[in-house]
Amino acid sequence: MENDLIYFITKHFVERMTHFKTLEYIKNSYSSRICQLTEEKKAGKKIVGTLCLFVPDEIIFAADADRVILCGGKNDTISIAEQYLPRNICPLVKSSFGSVVNNGRSGVKSCSHFGLVDIVVAENTCDSKKKMYELLGDYVPTYVLDLPQKPDSLAAVKYFLEELNKFKGVMEQLTGNKVTVEQLKKEIISSNETRKLLHRLYDLRKTDSPPISGVDVIKVMQKQYVLSAEDFKKALRSLIDEAEKIKADFKTDFTRKPRIMISGCPMPGGNTKVPEIIENRGGIIVVEESCTGTRSFWDLVDESKDPMTALAERYIKIPCSCMTPNDRRIDNILELAREFKVDGVVNYTLQFCHGYNIERYKVQQALRNAGIPVLSIETDYSDSDVEQIGLRVDAFMEMLS
Amino acid sequence: MISVGIDSGSATTKAVLVIDGQMITRNIRPTGFDFLSAAKSVCEDVLSNAGIDKKDVTGIYATGYGRNSIKFADRAVSEITAHTMGVYYLYPAVNGIIDIGGQDSKIISVNDGRVTDFLMNDKCAAGTGKFLEYTAKALEVPIEELGNLALVSKEPASITSMCTVFAESEVISLRARGFKKEDIAAGLIESIARRVAVMVRQVGLKQNVAFVGGVAKNAGIKVFLEKELGISLYVPPEPQVTGALGAALYGIGKNSIV
Ligand code: SF4
Ligand code: SF4
Repeated sequence: MENDLIYFITKHFVERMTHFKTLEYIKNSYSSRICQLTEEKKAGKKIVGTLCLFVPDEIIFAADADRVILCGGKNDTISIAEQYLPRNICPLVKSSFGSVVNNGRSGVKSCSHFGLVDIVVAENTCDSKKKMYELLGDYVPTYVLDLPQKPDSLAAVKYFLEELNKFKGVMEQLTGNKVTVEQLKKEIISSNETRKLLHRLYDLRKTDSPPISGVDVIKVMQKQYVLSAEDFKKALRSLIDEAEKIKADFKTDFTRKPRIMISGCPMPGGNTKVPEIIENRGGIIVVEESCTGTRSFWDLVDESKDPMTALAERYIKIPCSCMTPNDRRIDNILELAREFKVDGVVNYTLQFCHGYNIERYKVQQALRNAGIPVLSIETDYSDSDVEQIGLRVDAFMEMLS
Repeated sequence: MISVGIDSGSATTKAVLVIDGQMITRNIRPTGFDFLSAAKSVCEDVLSNAGIDKKDVTGIYATGYGRNSIKFADRAVSEITAHTMGVYYLYPAVNGIIDIGGQDSKIISVNDGRVTDFLMNDKCAAGTGKFLEYTAKALEVPIEELGNLALVSKEPASITSMCTVFAESEVISLRARGFKKEDIAAGLIESIARRVAVMVRQVGLKQNVAFVGGVAKNAGIKVFLEKELGISLYVPPEPQVTGALGAALYGIGKNSIV
């Protein structure tokens, strides 16, 4: 009887969460985006490939270029990358590199946007990426944006500002367009709009009965840097409209599922293994402290300041594990846990990502002190550990309920 | 109230029959290829042992690796929760559990019969029963004898590799260099004890720690683990069945035995 009820509720809940029209649109948007990029390229527009949140969209757009993310979430291209890169580096780096190198070869599928970029704007973050970019340069023109890695000093902001100015110069040279203060201000306002929309979407998840599942939100977030900024914004607006309607329709809190935060490494498109396990086994993900989550939109860019300074100040604060100290991330995790009424945190790391794996200790410590249970999962893109992870997640859910 | 708990493990399948909160009987069989039929057989075994008709059973509860394939069970529960409930029943003071299983090792922190934290080894056979199984084979010793053999060693060999594959070749090279069998055995067990001890410290277990799972029957391993941790471990009389026992108790909602 109880089981039947749970089944009914789960079924209902799942149905309720998947009939978003916008989600269908977002999930199927890839091929139209490829057409769009191909058209743009024909018309002379430059396409920039990025792999990290530290590269400001605003500068790319102000130069009238388009941008597409190159972070790989697919397992298929890893074996190709391993012909060049050592096995023991993170799957994200291998998958991304494999996709670029593989481009145009038959046999293994990689996404076609990897072949469309005119330049990769890379960044000096973790060692694996940094060294991979040196090899990538043989396949695509690659520019590396340098980052100071002790972000909490004035000198760091100043240095980063210089780096951003250099990057602006690179974009101007690439496109032949001058990046004006007006253009930058316009782009900052536009990107802030997206950030505010994402805040609204995430606010809906703070309710006792979130109208949208975590897996669905992650799939949306995975498209944030794939789609054009305008299309993503449009999609977000209609998704929020739909979600707000659903929220108004459903008043009862019948879920009582453990509310989970995922915190850790990025989850690029093609990889939702762990979030799916969590939600298939009775949890509801209410927030992601991740580059595929809050890190991309939490802080706005100050619209009242000189645009380049405002960009430098905002972007340098992204709490990535390549920074030291990175206590900002710990503070943010605790703040999110409170705001989203989180019951437990899944600390998600990719195998061989030293930065986030080492930070696990501090994250666990801080959460334990705050009385919030943590489950740490270290994994890759393969399916070989689905059962093992499933067991941990089951036990974690039993522990939380 | 009559309930059956089944622990469907990769090597063996165990069943425990619980009537009104009392453990009545248990049975163990090799799992073989088919998880489901092994589960059926052990379940029938315990029922016939106790002379109980299947229709009088209140519920059947599954745990273990194959828990989700036991279709005739009313509910599945993770091994972590199951072991905790099983051990708590036998040893109410328990604050921590070490379970070295065939596929993985689990360290569980317990408070008042509830799981408060746990840790499992990641994607690797280091610190699991598999490590002992393979390295015992390389040593040409039946795994059951490994522990006792190790106890007679005066000078344990040093095994530096945590990796099962590398440890296997390390054993072979120690043999080639003429090391004594018992010294290599002791080296192996020291190595697994060190690995498990690291996990125990990560979770922060300090006292009232139980040692369960098939490997716990191995007296030598218990001794080495106690030495490494500096505490004495509680090993239940039948450490392999605490999971099945816990599942049966979980099913009837026996959360606390107080
Ligand atoms: S985790 Fe760090 S390096 Fe990776 S995308 Fe995020 S900010 Fe960039
Ligand atoms: S997941 Fe970690 S190792 Fe991989 S690219 Fe990001 S920061 Fe680098």
